[in-house]
Amino acid sequence: MTSTQAVDDIVKSEYEHGFTTEIESDTLPPGLDEDVVRAISKRKGEPEFMTELRLKAYRHWLTMTEPEWPAVDYPKIDFQAISYFSAPKRPEDAPKSLDEIDPALLETYNKLGIPIEEQKALAGIAVDAVFDSVSVATTFRETLAEAGVIFCSISEAVHDCPELIRQYMGSVVPHTDNYYAALNAAVFSDGTFVYVPKGVRCPMELSTYFRINARNTGQFERTLIVAEEGSYVSYLEGCTAPQRDENQLHAAVVELIALEGAEIKYSTVQNWYPGDEQGKGGIYNFVTKRGDCRGARSKISWTQVETGSAITWKYPSCLLRGEDSVGEFYSVAVTKGRQQADTGTKMIHIGKGTRSTIVSKGISAGQGRQTYRGLVRIGQRAEGARNHTQCDSLLIGDRCTANTFPYIEVKHPSAQMEHEATTSKISDDELFYCRSRGLTEEDAVSMIVNGFCKEVFNELPMEFAVEAQKLLSISLEGAVG
Amino acid sequence: MTAGLPTGFEGWVAEAARASGGRGLEWLDAQRRSALEQASAQGLPTNKDEQWRYTSLKGLQEQAFALSAEPLTALQPDDIEEALVAGLDSHRVVLVNGRFSPELSPLEDLPEGVRIAGLAQLLESDPDVLRGELNGVAGDELPLFAALNTAGLDDGVVVIVDDRRIVERPIELIHLSVGLDEPRVAQPRNLVILNAGAQATLIERYLSLGDSLYCTNCVTEVSLGRDALLAHERIQDESPNAFHITGFYLRQDTASSYRGINIGLGARWARTDLCVSFSGEHAECDLQGLYLAGDGQLMDYHLDVDHSLPNCRSQENFKGILYGKGRAVFDGLVFVAEDAQKTDAAMSNRNLMLSESAEVDTKPQLEINADDVKCSHGTTVGRIEPEMLFYLRSRGISAPIARRMLCLGFAGEIIDKLGAEPLRDYVTEQVGRRLESAPLS
Repeated sequence: MTSTQAVDDIVKSEYEHGFTTEIESDTLPPGLDEDVVRAISKRKGEPEFMTELRLKAYRHWLTMTEPEWPAVDYPKIDFQAISYFSAPKRPEDAPKSLDEIDPALLETYNKLGIPIEEQKALAGIAVDAVFDSVSVATTFRETLAEAGVIFCSISEAVHDCPELIRQYMGSVVPHTDNYYAALNAAVFSDGTFVYVPKGVRCPMELSTYFRINARNTGQFERTLIVAEEGSYVSYLEGCTAPQRDENQLHAAVVELIALEGAEIKYSTVQNWYPGDEQGKGGIYNFVTKRGDCRGARSKISWTQVETGSAITWKYPSCLLRGEDSVGEFYSVAVTKGRQQADTGTKMIHIGKGTRSTIVSKGISAGQGRQTYRGLVRIGQRAEGARNHTQCDSLLIGDRCTANTFPYIEVKHPSAQMEHEATTSKISDDELFYCRSRGLTEEDAVSMIVNGFCKEVFNELPMEFAVEAQKLLSISLEGAVG
Repeated sequence: MTAGLPTGFEGWVAEAARASGGRGLEWLDAQRRSALEQASAQGLPTNKDEQWRYTSLKGLQEQAFALSAEPLTALQPDDIEEALVAGLDSHRVVLVNGRFSPELSPLEDLPEGVRIAGLAQLLESDPDVLRGELNGVAGDELPLFAALNTAGLDDGVVVIVDDRRIVERPIELIHLSVGLDEPRVAQPRNLVILNAGAQATLIERYLSLGDSLYCTNCVTEVSLGRDALLAHERIQDESPNAFHITGFYLRQDTASSYRGINIGLGARWARTDLCVSFSGEHAECDLQGLYLAGDGQLMDYHLDVDHSLPNCRSQENFKGILYGKGRAVFDGLVFVAEDAQKTDAAMSNRNLMLSESAEVDTKPQLEINADDVKCSHGTTVGRIEPEMLFYLRSRGISAPIARRMLCLGFAGEIIDKLGAEPLRDYVTEQVGRRLESAPLS
């Protein structure tokens, strides 16, 4: 009897008797059923209500079918072949030194100018506890605690402030929302919880990059940010350096809640492994992100730079419920090689005087496939609602694809909405102009592309913007000519 | 065989099946049978179907339509006087309830090299001309309503213009519906072929005498040869109780030019599918559109422009005015194939909303697989600018008149493109009349 079978038997026997017992293994065997869901909850020592929530989501997930409408191709995912819980990796499994890491990865780190210690951390090398950002993180936590901001992992939050979790989790993205949101709600591993109390302006940019305790949050990440009346928070997710990751399917859920007068700024830089030249082995990034502007004059702003992953499939959206609330979406997506991205946003105008801005810049090179898919809905009561949408695509190479599928639904005459989209390649005139001034073709392209994306980069926090520009140049290296 | 189609369509299909097979043309029967199978296999689309996301077939489904049987012979030229556009000099072809009416179509003075005939007539006298041409542009895989039209294919108009012939006067097809006791479906089928270098103007008008309930499910196929030029003006002004479905299929050969204007005013429920494809390079296609949707009306436009070849240009410009409980749907797709370099395509949809309860759902889409292209789309939805209104009011013009002026100005961009002045005046008047009765608030 193999160990997998043994564990399976244990799992099954528990079900027969209706009891649960502690499972002593670090990683659950692949497969998903109610017992696995229970086991995850148990391992995390969650209170009863969380277990129930997970089971409810799981049961709903069973009734759903995998969506097929996005313009992306990938082999069917076998959900029974995935292991849904793995404890943090033990140091002996990790690579011992940088010598064991893919040289291409290291080259990228060097180009981005990442310090050697951080390189190690990013590459997943076991590092001793003394590492700069640990102390940095501790200092940060103290400052935040002083301001009253809660910034911790979801697991901690479930224990420390269950009433907030109970109140807000699943209130923006319910488990019934879509296939992957249901899956996430059933098996989510960990994630981030941010709570900004009334009137507090969060004293620093919050970033997972510095957050040691949330390492290895795994493939089903869950983020919940609540901004109370009149507060402000800026949250940075991801990092420009490509991260080593064994999980191929990532199905995260991000929920933002902004109460009256609050503002949440959420920035993402995503550069996961895009797979080899044939597109094999890359990450599938199927994410549900949604912000809820509940209060009047609240504001939620999404900024994303998507350069990695084999498949990116996400639509950070805003529900504009409060009067005069504001939603923003700024996006740069790059697809090259055989990468595919189906991304965009939804702006649902419900309250009076709500405003939204959408700026989407897509760059498609090689055999990349890129789709902007967006919805702007102006409801019957959204008097004076305003939307401006701009989606531009830049094509590099004659085998790439750029699609634009905007949906616009207007039910109020005082609404004003504009949508513009263009698709073009880098013009020969522009290239010639730059080259006649002594720039190499590659530099010229990089300059033109960065100009193309400027509107979005301007929305990123300063240090991120600089990195994003570099990242873009690196991403497009070799794509031209 | 009709299992896939719900009640309401059964009579429609059964009649179509009965109508077929009467002419002893094997190829035609095969085509009809295949179309009927397709229609049954497809069943009725729902709003889960991307093409029907915003459009409900419920109203249509509730009706038990029968196919239009015999033409009304009682109609005399005097009877259709009110359906004519004063001062419009044209080669006039009249169809009554989907059937070609020789009495009402004075076609004696056709120039040489131009053939205009009723489809049924031609199937009788010279069917070989039509072999391979029917569904030659639309193709063998048809959406539901085009399939139903093909299944019951029997009459319509055929226009063939020979090489390098220039038809000076416009050819006017008047699709007339007259009151019948029971709701009926008319399924006219039109075929327009312009051979190499030919030039013509085609005016298609859909209208009714009286305001009875009926359904028009028409298919028009247009094939343009090398260097051919067609100006095509379609004015849909059906009875306010009617359902109208158009399947329009256009194929353009090298360096041909198509200038189309679609004006939608009537019917309570109108669905228009415009499909454009190219069989040669350097062709140009210009599609302009204007629609008005008032109380309870639905105007649904679907554009499918397939740039499969390089160096072609297309422009789509649709404008809509909505008032009362009017609804409009615009779903445009520009597709650029992998090697269709130097494609130049621009799509625009602008809507003016005049009332609280109107609704617009618009979806201008681009699907681009080549890099050296210039493609854009734009769409706007808005109301009349208060500043503009104020400008006119400060000059002593009352608010209702000022609003109407601004709406007519908005619509004028499209109306002014109509070639014949009498037609421009006619459409302006029709639009103006509707705006006058519209509750402007």
